[in-house]
Amino acid sequence: MANLPLSGIRVLDFTWAWAGPFCTMQLAHLGAEVIRVETTARPACVTRLIPPFADDIPGPNRAGYFNQYNQGKRSITLNLTRPEAIDLACQLVRHCDIVADNFAAGVMDKLGLGYAKLRSIKPEIIMISMSGYGQTGPYKGYVGYGPPASAASGMFFTTGYEGGDPGEIGVSYPDPNAGIFGAFALMAALTHRALTGEGQYIDQSQFETALALMPEGMLEFELNHREPGRHGNHDPVMAPHECYKAAGDDEKWVSIAVGGDEEWRALCRVMEKPELAADPRFKTAALRKQNETALDQIVTAWTNTRDRWDAARALQTAGVAAFPSMSNKDLAEDPHLNERGYFALLEHSEVGKRQHAGIPWKMSETPCAVRSPAPLRGADTEPVLKSLLGLTLDQIEHLRKSGVLI
Amino acid sequence: MIADLGAEVIKVEPPGGDLTRRRGPFPNDQPDPEKSGIFIYLNANKRGAVADLKRPEGRELLGKLLAGADILIHNVAPGDRAAQGLDSAALLAAYPKLVVAAISPFGETGPYANWRGYELTLSNAAGWATLSPGASPYPDLPPLKCFGSQCEFQGGIHAAITALAAYMHRLKTGKGQAIDISAQEAVAAMLEMNFMHWTYAHRETSRLGSRLLGPWFIADTADGKIFALAVEEDQWKRLVEFMGNPEWASDELFKDRIARGQNQDALKALMGEWLSQWKTQDLYREAQARRVPFAPVNTMRDLYESEHLAERKFFATLDQPGLGPVKLPGMPSKYGATPWALRRPAPRLGEHAEEIFCGELGIARERLNDLRKAGVA
Repeated sequence: MANLPLSGIRVLDFTWAWAGPFCTMQLAHLGAEVIRVETTARPACVTRLIPPFADDIPGPNRAGYFNQYNQGKRSITLNLTRPEAIDLACQLVRHCDIVADNFAAGVMDKLGLGYAKLRSIKPEIIMISMSGYGQTGPYKGYVGYGPPASAASGMFFTTGYEGGDPGEIGVSYPDPNAGIFGAFALMAALTHRALTGEGQYIDQSQFETALALMPEGMLEFELNHREPGRHGNHDPVMAPHECYKAAGDDEKWVSIAVGGDEEWRALCRVMEKPELAADPRFKTAALRKQNETALDQIVTAWTNTRDRWDAARALQTAGVAAFPSMSNKDLAEDPHLNERGYFALLEHSEVGKRQHAGIPWKMSETPCAVRSPAPLRGADTEPVLKSLLGLTLDQIEHLRKSGVLI
Repeated sequence: MIADLGAEVIKVEPPGGDLTRRRGPFPNDQPDPEKSGIFIYLNANKRGAVADLKRPEGRELLGKLLAGADILIHNVAPGDRAAQGLDSAALLAAYPKLVVAAISPFGETGPYANWRGYELTLSNAAGWATLSPGASPYPDLPPLKCFGSQCEFQGGIHAAITALAAYMHRLKTGKGQAIDISAQEAVAAMLEMNFMHWTYAHRETSRLGSRLLGPWFIADTADGKIFALAVEEDQWKRLVEFMGNPEWASDELFKDRIARGQNQDALKALMGEWLSQWKTQDLYREAQARRVPFAPVNTMRDLYESEHLAERKFFATLDQPGLGPVKLPGMPSKYGATPWALRRPAPRLGEHAEEIFCGELGIARERLNDLRKAGVA
């Protein structure tokens, strides 16, 4: 096995939906062996069941959502409603370093897989529970998803067009964000264990991980007793700062953000309006911010007739931050991301080779790569039970027939 | 994040101070580099010193600091690194045990390596803004960025994870390494199933169109706004019962979650009257009591006054000189064995120069004074 940062670390992964699997995928990216525990006994393993399916043909192994966020993991099926399955899970814990879940608070305890129990099996185990609202407090039993967490954390209240209603934010961002915070917490706990030998339990709240990313809004209230307001794409300091309509259909836009005076003068040069640089309305950053409506009209008049890529390239060449508004197709075809080898493109036995978002970092000494595509459901049940628990094929067959391994 | 967990972090700032010192929010909107809310939030628990890395004497100071460091984290643009002594390969040649985590908008290789990126352009480059706000009926309104500095934060969080991973590798092997982190790539991996809509089913995504499922909308209540959501059929059944089994709920238009998504305008109009009679927090509590996943569209005030967050002791109070006690969002992960604490306020510009440069690195006081006069430290 390659010498990766988490080579030799094994994760028993009870997570489901999006937040939890996003967390454990980071560990797989870093070299850990992640064993995803699934079951068909519970109907809602949502990510295997919702579109897009490869070529629109439904099937649990054909779902893009699942196949994206479970790259590099193994899959076993355990029917956790059965005591024999819980017993197998406990036996597996003995061979694992980390146990992860993102069930509602208390579910792992009810299953007989709470931290006290796992710790009695393996004292140095690290466990993380990534619930919607945390394991304590009056909302601990509330149902949490990413979109309601966007509402509860103030992201909806602070996002939206100038003068308009609170807006949604396009993706269920608090989900991957909870996952990424979970991955950080696990790296910290692994470091602590490497230094001291001690394991621990981590109680993480999705709601709070979203709040950790709201400091500008929260401190506006704390320092000035005022809500931050909604300002579309505008910035408190920089102007111009907007997505501008480019030539072409409704989906063609180019974003431009101008920081200091040097960038402003460069924008004027690229727009071939040198007189603007001397215009007293736009002389300083503060004045540009004050007169940004007029500024937005001027920039729009320029972008309107230009191809979004031509505009972005010309501006970037002059040192101005600009980028087209990318669709999924734009990302997939992007020469930069392809040249960096960002996309993972591995042969999957049911969907073939498909582009997936890959690993957003490169490490010089321990080059990480997606090592296998997302697993077929239950593909590793037999090898894992054989190699880790020493079960015989007969024993496994018996468990399968009696409904423990579904 | 790393300082909060106990690492000793020295923040090295350029002579004018970190950019965030100029961004606020500031008390009474009066810009003051020592009173920026975002700077304080991001730099509590650290010590600070100034070194102008654009000058050789500044790079000499950096060298002395690195000799005693385990990890170097920076987000200097790839094209500016060599001139500031931050070229990854050169750093590793000089300090083979060092972990270098270098964050940039687009990574340090490829055609956009030297392109500039701010939060707005990053959220467009990563394909997020293009999806937002989602299900919009207004093609003339632009893609919309989420509030705050989300893409920049994600670059930072990914750097924290990979820096610790590299540190663990060093514990095993004694070897350092350099990490190249692209914020664009980090966010492009966070688009839910939207990227796969193209690679699995050849559908291009858009901020326009309709919701996949319903109900899924923001509505007015008697005293604020609620996010009304039911994603599973059993949640919808309990919601209908909660609403008092109105006749319209059995209409063919609302027969399943997909139909409710497609006919959301009608659904919103019909549910609207009932929702508007509730106070937000009461509706939240009563819906959740029926396991219906509504959530309030919380304001900042709502968050500071949340009984749940108070009971979880989420907020941490920082005594920041010049500002007094400030309540900050705390650590969102509660560690059983290694609890988190605020240990020191954010540093004033150059606050710990003497302590670090003279006390710990052995630089003579006169030399530091000369460097100060020259504007290097």
